[in-house]
Amino acid sequence: MRALVIDDSRAMRRIVSGILEGFGYEVQQAGHGREGLDVLDGGWVPDLVCVDWNMPVMDGLQFVSAVRSNPAWRQVTIMMVTSESEHTQIVRALAAGAHEYVIKPFTADAIRDKLALLGLLPQEVFL
Amino acid sequence: MTAFSADLGDTGERRRTSDAPLAITDLIDEATVQSIAEEAWLALVGEEEYLLPLPGGPADDAVSSWVEVVGPWTGTVVITTGRSTAEELSRALLKEHAPPVLDAEDVDDALGELANVVGGNVKAVLPGPSALGLPEVGNAPEVTDPADVVRIDVLWRGQSLSISVQGSAGALPDPYENHENEVPL
Repeated sequence: MRALVIDDSRAMRRIVSGILEGFGYEVQQAGHGREGLDVLDGGWVPDLVCVDWNMPVMDGLQFVSAVRSNPAWRQVTIMMVTSESEHTQIVRALAAGAHEYVIKPFTADAIRDKLALLGLLPQEVFL
Repeated sequence: MTAFSADLGDTGERRRTSDAPLAITDLIDEATVQSIAEEAWLALVGEEEYLLPLPGGPADDAVSSWVEVVGPWTGTVVITTGRSTAEELSRALLKEHAPPVLDAEDVDDALGELANVVGGNVKAVLPGPSALGLPEVGNAPEVTDPADVVRIDVLWRGQSLSISVQGSAGALPDPYENHENEVPL
């Protein structure tokens, strides 16, 4: 399975990518939403996108809206991974088309639990 | 212009309490900041990484990271520590994902992300709606009003670190006015 990790913090990109690679994902990274769209436009369409909210150039909410406006990317599952933790922000993200929401700080177990809920955890990880 | 300021006879003495700017000390306390920071450290830095509430004194080579919160209360959430502590913190944060050579940009980025996480969770307990700025790293913003600061001084691995939530003087911009995300969809 493929995952795209979008965060303006390279530390956070490394951490999230490392967790996903541990679950067997092939991972690409982007530093903001526009770079993330460029990856999809280039034909590398992931099963999962983990995207931060607050980023320069294009934020996570704009990215989610852009992905959802393109029928070709309908099958992409989007999980927001962000320090925006208010209920209203979570509602906005889900209304825009995100499937799940992980609040920073998180643990690898929290990511694993969300992937399991989404049916995106490879079977061997359960064993 | 408020109804009170429109009244030419108003000297300001009758102004409602709610018109007064919010002070951070009325909104959050040291224990809450400590709790937010501890949660961030335990989740991101490590399960046995504790922040002891003991002042360790200022670092010689201090570096700060901060995020701005803009809303009913406006200010910054600032993490300050020594440069060598910041490097150690970056390695602890990245764990096995750390590159063989950690450059200054890696350290600034990791320290900035910690400010982002702590700041986001501080914002969540303040009155909203508020917006969170992008992390910055460098010399800490000056404290403009010592009465509008909540600060904790802690020791992490025996090294001093402070987290302060400090108000900013001046006008309050619209929290949802975003000048940086101007890429058309």
